[in-house]
Amino acid sequence: MGPLPPDPPTRLALARPRVLLTTEGTYPYVMGGVSSWCNVLVNSLTEFDWQVLPIVPPDGRKRMFELPDHVSEVGRIEVWSETLPQRGRPRPLQRRAASRLPAVLVRNLLGWEGDADAVVDAWVWCRRFPAGVRSVFRSARGWSAFLGGLQDVLDERVPEAGTPPVLDLVEAAKLYQTLYWVARTAAAPTPATDVLHVTAAGWSAIPAVVHKTLHGTPLVLTEHGVYVREAYLAAVRNGDSPGSRFAATRVARGLARVAYANADVVSPVTDANAYWEMGLGIDPSKIHVLYNGLRQTSTPTPPPRARTVVSVGRIDPLKDVHTMLRVAAETLRYVPGARFLHYGPVTKSEEAYGRSCTALHERLGLGEHFRFMGPTDDPNGAVRDADVVLMTSISEGLPMSILEAMGEGRPVVSTGVGGVPDVVRGCGAVAAPGDDHALAMAVVTLLRNPDLAWRLGQRGHARLGRIFSEAACVDGYRDLLQTVARGAAPQDVSIGLAA
Amino acid sequence: MDPARARLLVEARLGRRPQDMLEAAVVLEAWVGVPAQRALAAAKALMPATPAEARPSVGRLPRPSSQKGVLLEGAAFVISVIAIALWAAPLVSSLGATVVRHGLMVTLPLTIALQWGLRRRWLDHPHGLAQLADRALLLLAGACATVGLPTLVLGPSGMLAGLLTVTLTGGTILIRKRWALVYVAIILVATVPLMAGLSPLPVLAAAAGATALAVALALRTSAMPAPSSTGQWERAVAAGIIGIGLGLMLVLDRTVSWTEGTVPALALLPATFASFWGGYHLRHLEREMPRAGSGIPVIGERTRGLARPPLGVLFGALGRLMVLAGVLSVGLMVLTPWLGSSARDAGVLLGFALLALATMLVSLLESMGGGAWALFAVMCAAAAEVAVRVDGADPFSGTGLVVGGAVAVVLVLPPVVVLLSRPASTLATALWIP
Repeated sequence: MGPLPPDPPTRLALARPRVLLTTEGTYPYVMGGVSSWCNVLVNSLTEFDWQVLPIVPPDGRKRMFELPDHVSEVGRIEVWSETLPQRGRPRPLQRRAASRLPAVLVRNLLGWEGDADAVVDAWVWCRRFPAGVRSVFRSARGWSAFLGGLQDVLDERVPEAGTPPVLDLVEAAKLYQTLYWVARTAAAPTPATDVLHVTAAGWSAIPAVVHKTLHGTPLVLTEHGVYVREAYLAAVRNGDSPGSRFAATRVARGLARVAYANADVVSPVTDANAYWEMGLGIDPSKIHVLYNGLRQTSTPTPPPRARTVVSVGRIDPLKDVHTMLRVAAETLRYVPGARFLHYGPVTKSEEAYGRSCTALHERLGLGEHFRFMGPTDDPNGAVRDADVVLMTSISEGLPMSILEAMGEGRPVVSTGVGGVPDVVRGCGAVAAPGDDHALAMAVVTLLRNPDLAWRLGQRGHARLGRIFSEAACVDGYRDLLQTVARGAAPQDVSIGLAA
Repeated sequence: MDPARARLLVEARLGRRPQDMLEAAVVLEAWVGVPAQRALAAAKALMPATPAEARPSVGRLPRPSSQKGVLLEGAAFVISVIAIALWAAPLVSSLGATVVRHGLMVTLPLTIALQWGLRRRWLDHPHGLAQLADRALLLLAGACATVGLPTLVLGPSGMLAGLLTVTLTGGTILIRKRWALVYVAIILVATVPLMAGLSPLPVLAAAAGATALAVALALRTSAMPAPSSTGQWERAVAAGIIGIGLGLMLVLDRTVSWTEGTVPALALLPATFASFWGGYHLRHLEREMPRAGSGIPVIGERTRGLARPPLGVLFGALGRLMVLAGVLSVGLMVLTPWLGSSARDAGVLLGFALLALATMLVSLLESMGGGAWALFAVMCAAAAEVAVRVDGADPFSGTGLVVGGAVAVVLVLPPVVVLLSRPASTLATALWIP
C-alpha cells in the first residue's frame, strides 16, 4: 500500500540490546501465569533494556508489577477507548483509495486461505496514517467495501473450513467494529528497538509485525497457550450464535497466521503447543521450544499427611471446576476424611460459572470437605500444605501451578492437556479431561499411600530442577534473544519431548 | 481415530456439527483427551468433503443500558425549572431588570454549553463520573472561573450569571449521579429566603457553594480506578458550542422577556415536560437500532423494512413532544388567565416547543456522529434568529424563536431520518465506532 520508510539506525552491535515486549491483557496490569513469566524474564535478563508495550482495555487499572530501572513502559494501546490518534491524516485521495481497508482485512484475516501479506500491507497503511483509520471505518464506502469482502469470505467453500454461517447485520456490524480496533492497534506507534518479543499470537503481535515490516527488526513469538485453540475453546463454551462464533474464531486464526508468518522464531512453552502451531501451518524450522521454569526450593518439606488435596487456579470453565467437584465427591466415598482446598478467584465475566460451581458443590453435599479459599498471593505455601495437588483443566500450556507443586515436592494428579503429560511424567498421574472417575481413583491411591505420594513428589522436585528450572528457562531466553539480536538464527531448533 | 467415531464424539459434545476442523480438533483434545497431533489429523478427516448448505445466524443483541432513575431525573429537572422560575421576581426586584436580563443572557448559553460539553466528555460514559472524581481540582478551578471571570467583566450581572451557571451545571452532575433529591433540596431551600426578600446574591452564592460541595461529595463516592480515556475533547468542545448556540436561541428573541417576574419562565414548562417525554421515548432507539438488523442476512436483499422500527421510535418521540407541548400550551392559555399575556402567548409557546423539538433532534444527530452538521444547523438557526432581531419586525411574540426553531428542525430532521433509515450502517459506522 505504499513505499516503506527507511530503516532506523541499528543498535545491534551495542552491548545492551533493546527488547520490545508486547503483551495483551497481562503484564504488567494483570496477575497470572503469563504475567509472572514476563516478570521473571525482565527481572532476570538485566543485560537487555526492556520496553513494555501492553494492550489493555480502558479501565484505568493500576500496574500490578513494579518495573525495575532497565524496564520501561513505552506507551499503552487502549482498545475500545475513545482516544484518537492526532497525527498521520491521509490526503483525500489516499483516504479514498484506503476505503477498501475494511475489505482487505475481512477478506484476508477471516478468509480460510487469506493472504497474510495483504493484511500486513493494510496494517502498514494504518501505521502511516493513524488518524485516517477512523474516517475510513466511519465512511459509508468503508462499510460497503467491508460487506463485499465479507460476502467473499462467506462464499468460500473449503472442506476443512466447513460452511460459514450467514451472518446477520448485527453480527457483521460487531465484526466491523473488531476490525476497526485491529486497524487501530496496527496504527499505534512503536519505539526504536532491536528485538521484538511478542507474548501471544494475537493482538499483541499486531504492532510488532508492523514494526518488523517497517524496520526489519527480528521478531520472537512466545506462546504460553495456543491463541487459536483458546479462542475456539472460548467460543465453544460461551454458547454464542454461529455467526459470532465464526467471527471470533476466524479473527483469532487470522491474527495467529499473520503472527506465525512474520515471526523469526516461535518459542512455545511446551511440545504440545508446537504440534498445534505446526498444525496451523507454521514452518517447523522456526519453532524453538523453551519450557517454563520455576525457582526450586532446596529441599522439599514432607507432606502433612492430613489427606489434603489442593488445587490452585481461577474458577473458570477452562479449569473445569465442575469435574474437580465431582472428583472430590467420588474421592470422599473412598476416603471420607479427605479435605479439598481450592485457591483462586472467579474469572472476571465468568461469575455465572462461579455460581454454577457453588450450586454443584451444594448439590453434591460436599460441605466443609471442599472449600473455595479465594485468591492467594502465596501459591507455594498453598501447595506445601497439600498431600496431593489436583488439576482438572481442559486447556493448558505448561501450567505454573504444576511446576509449583513439583517445586514443593508434591505429587500431581492432572488432566493430560497441553504440556502436562510431558511435565508430570514419573511424578504424578494423568487422566483424560473430564474423566472424574480416573482422576478420583488416582487421588484415592495417593491419599491411601502417602509414602508413594512422597516418593512421586520427590521425583517431581528433582525433575523440576533438571528440566523445568527457572535458571534453565531464563538461560534459554537469554541465548535466544542474544542470538536473534545479533541477527543469527537460533541454534538447536528442534522439537523434542522432555526426557 | 476412525473419522466416523470422531465425528460422533465431536457432535455429541457440541450438540451440532463442528464449525470447521479446528473446532473439531479442540473438542477432541479438550474433552476426549486425544493428543494434539492426532486430534488435528482426526478433525481434518471427519469434515465432510461436500460442503453443507449455509445456515443463517441470528446474533445476540447487545443488552440496553440501564434506564433506572431516568424518571426521577426528569422529575428533579422539572421541579428545578419551576423553582428557578420562582427566583425571577425577587431577583428583578432586588437587582433590577437590566442586571437580571444581562445575567440571564450569559447564564443560559453558558450553562447549556457546559452541560452539553460535560455530558459528551464525561457524563454519558460508563466511567465518566469516576473520571470527574479524579479531576476535582479542575472542577473547583472551573467553578471559580465561572463565577470570577463574568464578575470581572460584567460586574453584578456577571456574578449573577456565574452563580446561576455553577448551580445549574452542578445540578446536572448531581442528577446524573442520582443525587437528584439533594439538588432539588438545595434549590428549594434557596427559594425560601429569595421569596422572603433576602438579598439574592448571598443566597445564590450559598446555593452555588452548596451545589459545589454536594458535587464534591457525590464524586468522592465515585472514586475508583478510572479509565484513562473517555469522551473525545473534540466532540466535547463541539457539543459545548452546539450548547452555546441553543442557549443563544433561547435568549436572542427580544419579544421574550425573562425579567417580568415568574411568568415568562413558566411558559417554558409545556416544552420542558414535552421535551422530557419525547426524549424519554427515544431511549428505545438503543434497542431498536440493533433489532432492525437482527436476523437480516448480510447476503442478498436486506433493505426492506429495516428502517421501520427506528423511524417508528423517532416519529413516536416527535409526536409525543408535539402533542404534549400542544396540550399543555393550550391548557396554560385557557386555564391561567390571571398570568397575563407573557406566559400565555401562543407564539412564544410555539417557539419554545419548536426549540425543544430542535434540541431533541440536534442531540440525536450529534450522538449519531453528525456533530458537524448539527453544529451547522444550530448556527444557521441562531443566525436566522439574529436576522429577525436585527430586522426588528416581529409579526407576533416569539417570532425569533419560531423562525430559529423551524430552521433548526428543517436542517436537522432530514439527516436524522436518513441515518435512522439505514440502521445497520449507522450502527456500524457511527454508533459502534466512537
